[in-house]
Amino acid sequence: MNKNFLKELPELVRAQVISEDTAKKITAYYKNKPSTSNSRLFIVFGILGALLVGMGIVLIIAHNWDTLPITAKLVIGFVPLFIGQAVCGYLILKGSDSKSWQEGCATFLFFAVAISISIVSQVYNIEGNFGQFLLLWMALAIPIVYVLRSSMASLLFICGITWHACEVAYFNSQGYAVWYWVLLIAILPFYYLEFFRRDNKNNFFYFHSWLLTTSVTVCLGVFIDNHGELLMIAYLSLFSAFVILSELKAFATNRVLSNAYLVVGSLGIMVLLLTLSFDWYWNELSGTSFEGVASGVEFPVAASLSCVAGVLLFIHLRTTHFTDVNSKSFAFILFIVLFFIGLSSPTAAQLLVNVIILVFAVSTIRSGAKQNHLGILNYGLLIITALILCRFFDTDLSFVIRGLLFIAVGAGFFAANFYMIQQRKKTE
Amino acid sequence: MKKFTTALFLAMCLFQWFVPAKMIYDSEIVVRDGTPYKFKTQPVDPSDPFRGKYVTLNFEANAVTLADSAGWVPGEEVYVVFTTDSAGFATAESLYREKPSSGQYLKTTVNYITPNEPFRVFFELPFDRFYLEESKASQAEQVYWTSQRDSTQVTYGLVSIGTGTAILKDLMINDTSIVEIINRLNAGDE
Repeated sequence: MNKNFLKELPELVRAQVISEDTAKKITAYYKNKPSTSNSRLFIVFGILGALLVGMGIVLIIAHNWDTLPITAKLVIGFVPLFIGQAVCGYLILKGSDSKSWQEGCATFLFFAVAISISIVSQVYNIEGNFGQFLLLWMALAIPIVYVLRSSMASLLFICGITWHACEVAYFNSQGYAVWYWVLLIAILPFYYLEFFRRDNKNNFFYFHSWLLTTSVTVCLGVFIDNHGELLMIAYLSLFSAFVILSELKAFATNRVLSNAYLVVGSLGIMVLLLTLSFDWYWNELSGTSFEGVASGVEFPVAASLSCVAGVLLFIHLRTTHFTDVNSKSFAFILFIVLFFIGLSSPTAAQLLVNVIILVFAVSTIRSGAKQNHLGILNYGLLIITALILCRFFDTDLSFVIRGLLFIAVGAGFFAANFYMIQQRKKTE
Repeated sequence: MKKFTTALFLAMCLFQWFVPAKMIYDSEIVVRDGTPYKFKTQPVDPSDPFRGKYVTLNFEANAVTLADSAGWVPGEEVYVVFTTDSAGFATAESLYREKPSSGQYLKTTVNYITPNEPFRVFFELPFDRFYLEESKASQAEQVYWTSQRDSTQVTYGLVSIGTGTAILKDLMINDTSIVEIINRLNAGDE
C-alpha cells in the first residue's frame, strides 16, 4: 500500500499537486515508519512460540519421571518459573516496550506457574480435582495480566476461569462456581484500562469481547437449580444487555460481524425466543406459582441481571431516540411480561412469543433496508424462516398452507434482495 | 511508574513462589511428623492433562457408625481421628466438629449420612490420587486386578496424617510399593 502510494509521488509532483520538498518528506516518513504488519507478525509468533513451548513442558512434566529423586523433580519443575520470571523481570527493569516480547514472556510465565504447581501436586499426591487445580493456577496467574499488561495472559485467564466453572458446576455438580464470578470481576479492570481508557480497539479487544461474551453465556447456566424457568429471564436480560452495549459508542466496531456483543446478544435472543415458541416451557411454568419459583437461587440472579439491563437501556435511551434503538434491546422487558402472563395463561404467552419473533424479524429487515445492509436484511428473513420451520413441527396446519408459507418466504427473500441490489445500483 | 511496576512484579514473583513452596513445606511436615496409616483401597486409572496419569483410590475407611446422627449434614466440616484395626489397617474412630486439642487428625467434609439406624456418616478422604509415570499407570491397574483375584494379596495406600492434612506416600500391594512391582515386572520382561 505504502509502496504503491510512493510510486504516485513523482506524478503528483509533475502535476504540481505537491511540492518536491513535500514528496521527499513523505518518502522519508514512510521509510522511517516501523512496519505495523511486521510487528504484528512478531507478536503472533512470539505468543505462538511461548504457548507451544509452555504446553510442551507441561506435557513433559506430566509424564512423571519416577526414576528421578523428589528434589530433582521439584528443582526441574521450578526452572521454567525461574526463567519466566527472570526474563519478565529483565523486560520490566529495561523498560522494554516491545509488545511481542511482553506477550511472549507473559504467555510462557503463565504456563510456568501451572508447571510449578503441577510438579508439587504430582510429587506429594496432593488431592484436588482439576477444577481446584485450575482455580489455584488462575489465582497465581492473574498478577501476570496486570503487571506485564499482557492481553494474551488475560485471554488465557478468561479461558482458564471458564474451564474452572465448567469443571466445578457442570462436570462435577459442586455448586455455583463462585470463584469464577470473583475472578471474572477481577479481570474487568484490565479490559477497561487496556482497551477503553486508551480507546485502543486492536485485535485483542475483539478476542476479549468474544471470549467474555461467550464465557458469561456458558457460565450463567451454573445457576440452574430447581427453578430453571427463571433462568430464561436471566439469559434474555444478559443478551439484551449485550445488544444495548453493542450500540454504545465505546463498544461500537466498524463491522457488524466483528461486534461480539451484537452477534452473541442478538443470536442468543432469537435462539431463546424460538425455543420458547414451543409449548414445553410454558407447560412447565403453568403448574408453578411465582412465590415457588422466587424462592430459588435463580431469582436473585434473574432480578439483578434484569436491573443491569434496565439501567443500561435507560442510559442508552437518554442519548438515542426510542425508534433508533435496536428492537431486541427490549426483549427482556417483553419476556418478563410474558413470564407473568404464562403463569396463568400459558397458551396466550406462547402465542405472544410468536408475535414478538415476527416483530423482531420485521424490525431487523427494516433496519437492514435502512442501513442498506444485505446481511442484516437476510438475517431478518432467516428469523421468519426459522419461525415457520419451528411451527412446521408442532402445529396442525395443512401441508398446503405450510407449503405456501415457505414459498411466500422464499419469494420474500428474492424480492427483498433484488429490491436492495436495485436500490444500490441506482445510488451508484 | 517503573518503580511501582517493579515492586508489583517482585510481589507477584514472591506470591508465585510462596504458594507452591508452602504446598511443599506443608507436605514435608506431614510426611516427617505425621502418623502413617494403611488405607485399604481399590484403584482405577484416569488421566489429568497437567499432572499426568494417576490411579484414583476408593478407600474403605471413609465412614463412622454412630448411634445417633448427631445432626451431621452433607458438606459440613469435620475433624476425623483414625486408629488401626486388628489387621493393622486404618479405621475412622471418631468425628469432631471442633479441632481436637492434641494428636493427629484429618480435616475434611461430610459426604452423606445414611437415613436409618445405625447411622453411618460418610466423609471425603482427600488423598484419592496417586500419580505414576504414564506408562506405569495402566500397568498398575492391571497388577491390582490380578492381585484382587488372589485373596491372599492386600492393596492399600500408605497415608501419613498430620494435624489436619494428609499425604498419600505410596500405593502398596502386600507391603511392596506398586512402582517397585511394576519395575520388577518390566525388568523380568527384558
